[in-house]
Amino acid sequence: MGIGDIWNLVAMQPVINTLIVLSQYLFNSFGLAIIALTIVVNVLMYPLTMKQIRASKAMQSLQPKLAELQKKYPKDKQKLAKEQMQMYKESGVSPAGCLLPMLIQMPIWIALFQSIMRVLAVIPENLLGLSQYLYSWPIVYSTLPLQNEFLWLNLATGDMVLALLVGGTMWLQQKMIMTPTADPKQQTQSTMMLWMMPIMFAFITLSFPSGLGLFWVTSSVIRIGIQYFVTGWGGLVKSAPRKQIARDKKYKQRIAQAEEAPSGGADIVVPSSTEEEGLGYEESGSERQDRGGGYPKSLRAIRRHPRRGGGHRRKRG
Amino acid sequence: MRIRNNAVSMSKICLLVILLLVGLTVLGCIGIKTAPEGGSGGTIADGTLFLCPALKQAGGFGCAAPSVEGKLVAVDISDGSRLWEVPLEASEPAAGGFGCAAPATPVAIYGNPAVVGDLVYVGGYNGKIYAISSSSGALRWVYPREGKLEPIVSGVVVALGKVYFGCSDGKVYALDAATGDKQWEFPTGDKIWATPAIDGETLYIGSFDKKLYAIDAITGKQKWEKPFETEGAIASTPLVYNNMVYIGSFDRHLYAVDATNGKQIWQFPLEDEAKNKPEKWFWTRPVACNNTIYAGCFDGRIYALDAENGGKVAGLDLGSPVCSWPVLVDGSIIIASEEGKIYTLDAADNQIELLADVEEAIYAPLCASDGVIYIYSQEQNLHALNAESGARLWSQTVK
Repeated sequence: MGIGDIWNLVAMQPVINTLIVLSQYLFNSFGLAIIALTIVVNVLMYPLTMKQIRASKAMQSLQPKLAELQKKYPKDKQKLAKEQMQMYKESGVSPAGCLLPMLIQMPIWIALFQSIMRVLAVIPENLLGLSQYLYSWPIVYSTLPLQNEFLWLNLATGDMVLALLVGGTMWLQQKMIMTPTADPKQQTQSTMMLWMMPIMFAFITLSFPSGLGLFWVTSSVIRIGIQYFVTGWGGLVKSAPRKQIARDKKYKQRIAQAEEAPSGGADIVVPSSTEEEGLGYEESGSERQDRGGGYPKSLRAIRRHPRRGGGHRRKRG
Repeated sequence: MRIRNNAVSMSKICLLVILLLVGLTVLGCIGIKTAPEGGSGGTIADGTLFLCPALKQAGGFGCAAPSVEGKLVAVDISDGSRLWEVPLEASEPAAGGFGCAAPATPVAIYGNPAVVGDLVYVGGYNGKIYAISSSSGALRWVYPREGKLEPIVSGVVVALGKVYFGCSDGKVYALDAATGDKQWEFPTGDKIWATPAIDGETLYIGSFDKKLYAIDAITGKQKWEKPFETEGAIASTPLVYNNMVYIGSFDRHLYAVDATNGKQIWQFPLEDEAKNKPEKWFWTRPVACNNTIYAGCFDGRIYALDAENGGKVAGLDLGSPVCSWPVLVDGSIIIASEEGKIYTLDAADNQIELLADVEEAIYAPLCASDGVIYIYSQEQNLHALNAESGARLWSQTVK
């Protein structure tokens, strides 16, 4: 048995047959079947998704500290790497933490969209190939071939409106993840990420059957919901750049103070001022990311107002 | 290289992951065809074999359109030399998004050409029917003259001065064979991919609405009180034999129906015969010989059934799905499996032998003339084999 056969047995066949059976029970609608299966898969992968979001959040919360380290050791790469590793170790953050769950999820997504493409079977060649993936359940055979119409869509062809929806929801999701930064290089990188992925997926949606786009839109909407639950609106809420820069400067000063503190680790208490209250923490959506969990003990005390459960929901002012 | 910002490095890694994901998306779709290839079987008339080659996809991603140029090719059956070929026009492209023109509908041809008199008739996936001179390849008429129908996967049948075919719009059409004028149309409940069969003045055709219809070929009116209904879609062509209609369905059954009233005579397998149940559905047209029905199945078997009562005479395992129509040659059934093995089944004793192995995927119906079988593969090769010995007489690439 080759790797292709194993892939078909453990991934393709279950997904394909589930999609067909779901279609039968969901009013013979393949569109509803795609949405339902996408929801089920997202629910099953919820723990992994949460792990990924939390790991990303922790990584983001370490950015000021990282920037400081880079400034401190601009030429000593070895020392920099050592300090970084030490910082990751102390804070309990693993750089691979945000990538590993994504990598684990990828085969599942691939199986899902490969299955959608196969089940659509819009041309005779696809229907010939599909027969080899079917279980011998009578319901599967009486349901085929599936109807391609769903809402305004022909699920077998590309659709401009759906492509825009895919691009739009992906942009929203990406924007929520983004954290404002004063570093122009990082800003450029983030902006590129923000626009490139939605455009690429929108273009693919336009070129491939809409069933695939429907899967992407559903996935993105679910991810937006999860992201909102964990981090609030994040980068979607506007922040004033000048205030952001001012906040970063103050933040760096505090880190420097913390670094210079005696090794005994005496807490440095920085009194919060009226000015600081208006620095845009809530606006930037980064406040909830700063729960202190990702910082060395010496830095934890400088957090101004440790809050639990969603500073983004508080009214400002 | 100096590491300026670890966040930038992380972003780069994430970017790489995204690119990898998109790449895998595209790679994941490789092997899943998105554009029709077609590839009809041959039809022989006066020493000439008429064939519509399969299209091969070239790209098909983004703005790169797949090959859309279908054609009708006339081949000399004595040596495989090409007599003429005529391109079939692609439907005009529509305006697409992002500054790209939407690809034109390919002229993939799935059904065998039909030859009557001096005209060859073919139906295209681009929703058009063509009538072409069999001697010169000149276009005589095209239907519809303006616009197009939904994709035509069905083959055409020509009889009683009319051209009959089913369409993906769910209708059966009858056109005047000489002029291409529409005579009548008959609606069904879903797509039609099956080629109709005609017996006398009755046309039999299956639809994806799970029903088999009997239609008056002259008037276009339904003949049976109600169509015969199965549990699955019908994509196979019916066989009319001894006043019975034999049809395979996606529900993994083969049915025998009284040709006069549409009542079921038998079904294979019976409901309580779970052990006999084919694992996949019937796609090809059955063949009849010596009161036995031979039906190829996607489960890789050919079932020999008693034409009167549906009793299983034999079930022969070919090892890979049977997609192409078998053909009867001098009391032997010639069958091709998808993987390219050609078998001969002696109708006298139902013994099967491997005749040849062309080692190429075969979907197109087989055809035979004067003890020679002609096989068109998905690799765009046309093979001529001696039906008795399996010796290869010639092979030509037809594309």
